[in-house]
Amino acid sequence: MEASKCSSKVQLLAFISFFFAFLATGSCSAQVPLLIWSSDSLPPLASPAAGHITSSDQWTAYLTSTFSSGSHTVLLFLQDKLSKDDFTVFGGVFGNKQDNVFHNLEAALQSASSSVIFQASEWLGSSAILALLQDKLDVSPLHVDPDTLAELSINTSVNNLLVISLPYCTGLHKPCKDILHGNDEIIGKVLSMVKAKNIPYTAIYTGLQPSRVISESSVLNQPAGRSLLQAPVPDVKPPIMFNVSGNPCIMLWAQNLNVSISGTLPWVDLATETPSVTKSRCSSNSSLLVLSYTSGYTLSFYMSQRFYPGSARNWFTLDMVQLQYKDLTGVFLGSRDISAPAEYSYHCSFVSSVEEPLLVPNNSDNKNTSQWMLNFVDFQIQGFGLANGTNFSYASDCAGFFSPGIWMGLVTGLIMLLILVYGLHMITHLNTMDRFDDPNGPLISVPQTE
Amino acid sequence: MMNGHAILYTGVTLAFWSTITIIGICYTIFDLGFRFDVAWFLLETSPFMWALLGVGLAISLSVVGAAWGIYITGSSIIGGGVKAPRIKTKNLVSIIFCEAVAIYGIIMAIVISNMAERFTGTTPETIGARNYQAGYSMFGAGLTVGFSNLFCGICVGIVGSGAALADAQNASLFVKILIVEIFGSAIGLFGVIVAILQTSKVKMGN
Repeated sequence: MEASKCSSKVQLLAFISFFFAFLATGSCSAQVPLLIWSSDSLPPLASPAAGHITSSDQWTAYLTSTFSSGSHTVLLFLQDKLSKDDFTVFGGVFGNKQDNVFHNLEAALQSASSSVIFQASEWLGSSAILALLQDKLDVSPLHVDPDTLAELSINTSVNNLLVISLPYCTGLHKPCKDILHGNDEIIGKVLSMVKAKNIPYTAIYTGLQPSRVISESSVLNQPAGRSLLQAPVPDVKPPIMFNVSGNPCIMLWAQNLNVSISGTLPWVDLATETPSVTKSRCSSNSSLLVLSYTSGYTLSFYMSQRFYPGSARNWFTLDMVQLQYKDLTGVFLGSRDISAPAEYSYHCSFVSSVEEPLLVPNNSDNKNTSQWMLNFVDFQIQGFGLANGTNFSYASDCAGFFSPGIWMGLVTGLIMLLILVYGLHMITHLNTMDRFDDPNGPLISVPQTE
Repeated sequence: MMNGHAILYTGVTLAFWSTITIIGICYTIFDLGFRFDVAWFLLETSPFMWALLGVGLAISLSVVGAAWGIYITGSSIIGGGVKAPRIKTKNLVSIIFCEAVAIYGIIMAIVISNMAERFTGTTPETIGARNYQAGYSMFGAGLTVGFSNLFCGICVGIVGSGAALADAQNASLFVKILIVEIFGSAIGLFGVIVAILQTSKVKMGN
C-alpha cells in the first residue's frame, strides 16, 4: 500500500537521515522536501537512497524534463516553511495513524497516476522553485485563493501556473497541528475542484524555506560529540585607532555615536561612518582624538593624565568632548566621573548629555548650539598606556558592583536589623527579681493601712 | 560552653568581618583598590536618606532612653511603695524627668523633618553642595539628639530608682538625690541645643 509504504519510508528515513546527517561531511545545506504528483504520467525516477540530498541540479533537471513538452497545469502549493521533520512529527508515523494531519495529501499521492517524492532537495532560496517554473512554463504565476478557484476558468491548451500559499505555524494563536491540518484541507479542496473540472494537473508541494535546519558539521573539522548550537555571532567591528609610529596610541570603540543638531531632526549615528583621525595628537600627559567625518561632523575627545597624590597613582580624565558642524562648535564638559586609572581604559554603557548625563553641555551662551545633544552607547576609550597591541587594557567601568540604590537599601536595612537584634536581645534577657526570694523564710505580709 | 546568644553573635560578627576582609584582600591583589570609593558612596546616596535617617534616629533613640529610664524607676517606685506607700506621689517627678527626654526627641524630630524639602537634581553636580550639607546636618543632628537622650534617660532612670528606694528608707534623703537627677537631666538638654545648632544653617531645595 502506498500509504503504509510512504509512512514506513518516512519513519525509516527519519531514523536513518538523522544518523547519516551526523556523519555526513559537508557544509550546512538546507533542504526542503519536494512532492510532485500528477494525473498524467511523470518521467520515471529511481527512488533516491535514504538520507540522500537531491542536489539542485538534479531536481531542476527533473522538473525541466517534466515540463519540456506539452501544456501543463501546475498547482504549486507553497508553504511558508516545510521540512521532513514536519511529516515525522505530524504525520502519525509512530503508530498513531489517527494523529496524521496529512490525510488529503496521502490520499492524493496514493490516487495519483504517478508521484515522485524528493525527501530532501537542496534549498537554493525562497523564490528558486517559483522562478524555475516560471522560466520553464514561460507563464507568469497566478496566486489563487482556494475559495476563488471555483470561479476560475482554466484553459488547458496553454501552460498554467497556479500558486496557492499556505501558512506555517506561528505559535501565536493556533497550535501547529491545526494549521497544518488546515493546509491539508486546502490541498484537498483545491485538488477536488480541479478533478471536478476534469483538468489534467501536476501538483507540487514544497516550502519557501526549511522549517528546521540541522547544521551538518564535518567530522574532520570538529570533534564528534555534543556541542552548543548557537546562532552565528556577528563580527564585531574593530575600534577606531590613532597610530603613532605603527602602534595605536588612542583607541575608541562605541556601538553608537549619536549626535543631534536640532530637536526636530533625527539623531545621526556617526559610528556607521568611517572617520579620519589625522588631526589627533598623543603625548604622555594629554591626548586628543579628532574624528573627522565626510558628512561634515567633527568629534573631538580631549583627555589628560596626571599624578594625584591623594590616591598616589596616575589617573586620566576625559575633560571635554567637542562637536563641530558647519563652523559651529558645541562643547560638552566631562564631569569628574569620566575618569579611570591611567593604565586602564574607561567603559560606560551610556555617555550622554541627556539621560543620566555624564557630559554637561557648556553651550547656554550660544543660541545656535544650545540644543545640541550627544548620546554615545557602549562607549570605551583609552588614551594612555596602550602597550597591548590592539587590545584595550582592563576596562574600568562607570557602573560599580552595587548601584547607589542598593547601597542605600543596605544601609537602612542593616541599621534596622541592628535595632531589631538589640531589642530582641534585651527582651530575652528580662528577668524577674529574685534577690529576696527565700523559700524557707516567712511569707511577705502586706499591711492594709499606710 | 557559651550560651546560644553568645554563639550566634560571635558567628555573625565573624562572618561579617571575614567577608569584608576577604573582599578587601581580593580587591588589593587585583589592583582594584581604586574602586573602593567612599566619596562616590557619599555623593551618590541621596541626601534624603541621610536626612530621614536622622529624623528616625532622633525619635527612636530618645524613646529608647526614656523607656529604659521609666522602667528602671518605675519598678523601684512600685517595689518600694509596697512597704512605704508614702513615696508614690513624690517620686513621680523622676518619671517626669525621663519623659522629658522623649519629648525632646519628638520636638527635634519634628523640627528636623520640617527642613526636608524637595529638590530637582539627580547627579552630584545638579544636586549641589547645599543639599548635601543639609542632608548630612540633619543626619548628624538626629544622631546627636538621639544618643544624648538615650544615655540621659538611662542615667535619670537609675538615679531615680535609687532615689525612690532611699526615700522609702528615709524621707529626708529625697530632695538631695533630686539634685543629682537634675544634673543628669541637663545632659539631654545639651544634646538638644547642639542639634539645634547643627541644623540652624540647613536649607534644602533648589
